[in-house]
Amino acid sequence: MDAIIQLIHVSKWHDRRAALSDVTFEIEKGEFVLLMGASGAGKSTLLRMLIAEEQPDEGQIFVHGKNVTKLRPSEIPYLRRKVGAVFQDFRLLPKKSVFDNVALPLIVQGASEKDIRRKVTEALRAVDVDHKNDQLPSSLSTGEQQRVCIARSIVNGPVVLLADEPTGNLDPERTREIIELFKLINARGTTVVVATHDPHVLKDVNRRVITLVRGVLLAEHRVGEGVGG
Amino acid sequence: MRRLFYLVREAWVNMRTNRTTTIVAILTTAFALACVGIFLLLYMNLRNAAGSLQEDVKVMVYLEDRRSSEQVRELERTLKTDRMVDGVLFISKEQALGEFRVQFPSESHLLEGLGENPLPASFVVTLAPSFRSPDAMKAWVERVQTMEGVAKVDYNQEWSSLLAGLIGYIELAAIGVGILLSAAAVTIIGNTTRLALLARQEEIEILRSIGATRTFIRIPYFLEGAVLGACGSALSLGILKFAVELFRQQIQLTGRFSGIEGMISFFPLSVCLALVMAGMGLGFAGSVVSLLRVGDGRA
Repeated sequence: MDAIIQLIHVSKWHDRRAALSDVTFEIEKGEFVLLMGASGAGKSTLLRMLIAEEQPDEGQIFVHGKNVTKLRPSEIPYLRRKVGAVFQDFRLLPKKSVFDNVALPLIVQGASEKDIRRKVTEALRAVDVDHKNDQLPSSLSTGEQQRVCIARSIVNGPVVLLADEPTGNLDPERTREIIELFKLINARGTTVVVATHDPHVLKDVNRRVITLVRGVLLAEHRVGEGVGG
Repeated sequence: MRRLFYLVREAWVNMRTNRTTTIVAILTTAFALACVGIFLLLYMNLRNAAGSLQEDVKVMVYLEDRRSSEQVRELERTLKTDRMVDGVLFISKEQALGEFRVQFPSESHLLEGLGENPLPASFVVTLAPSFRSPDAMKAWVERVQTMEGVAKVDYNQEWSSLLAGLIGYIELAAIGVGILLSAAAVTIIGNTTRLALLARQEEIEILRSIGATRTFIRIPYFLEGAVLGACGSALSLGILKFAVELFRQQIQLTGRFSGIEGMISFFPLSVCLALVMAGMGLGFAGSVVSLLRVGDGRA
């Protein structure tokens, strides 16, 4: 299989403290990977590096065949259009409707009016909030807001979907629903990487798990298959 | 199309969200540009005045008293055949007295006690356009001065030169004040854009994370700057127009300098449009400066 994400000896320091230390791993196309670790383990730093929001101090990162560490600033937006991102705090624009929030990545790319309408409707339907088109994010529940955020991240058909603590603000029932949603997106062919510190998520996912402890890659295993190296 | 609509709407939303800052920026820009406009108006009107003075160069050739009419006719012939002369008009002593009485009715009694008419006869000479330069005029005047029967030669070239010097100073002042106040307008609009940028930092982060290019993020702020500049400039023209009309009205009401109000002109439409465009350019520059100073990360 092809590696869609590849980290080679990646290290990053924040104020002389190692946020990531010599991390090397690959994620294949179409995989569903859980990035586990306590708060401060380096999960968010790693995800930010995958969309070039941060640069490693050492090592190389490849995403969809591109060396992220060597991208010119003008190339970064085009990488981000291929990698959808879901955040714990949703990052929705409060003064725009659900439809407009989800349409944003398509507007940025200059999609036609017809395409925008069709793709936004499909994405909202996929996350089951298509009936809340015209509402503002503030009128939605936290679970619904997270669904809108997911719809926005998949609306332009990214090859990779990154989610940073997507269930951090949700109760167990909503957490299970969101994980099911990610499974569904993954089943359609999108590579999904979910960073979480919540061990309950493991119960719902029979997938590959990468564990980070204080910036060090501690273990890689599949849930139910035992801990590997 | 949707992208264009989005960018224009974002610029509009920026301005509406920061309504007070927007209004303050438009007003301060308008006053700064109105100050520049005052100098421009002064410059334009004085240039027009200098132009009409140049067109109306008349030389007064005063004649010695007690000259026979034959001698006067001879001098008139000499002047009329001069290639530098366009026209000659004779004003007799009686005509000069009549004109004085019409122009200065309250002072005409001063001449009553003198008995004999003290005003000299004269020729009003219009020089040909190609001989209206200060040097040519000076040479001609010096030549005529020595002619027999000529008492004195007067011409308004000195006024014209004085005006030209004054225009030069005003031009310099307009450039200096223009540069200074344009820089002020750029700073004012730049700060407004900066405030808008800081207020919307989170939104900019979101746009970046979904793959918006720098240009896409910046366009609404550029548009906002350009609109603020254009509005400020248009408002400054409104203020100036109002001031000019008020000035004209005041002159008419007081009755002094009567006739001058017709000579005071406002900018023609093409200059007004150019000034609005210049304001737009200044606003755009303000946004560019602000975006370069605040920056927006690696991408």
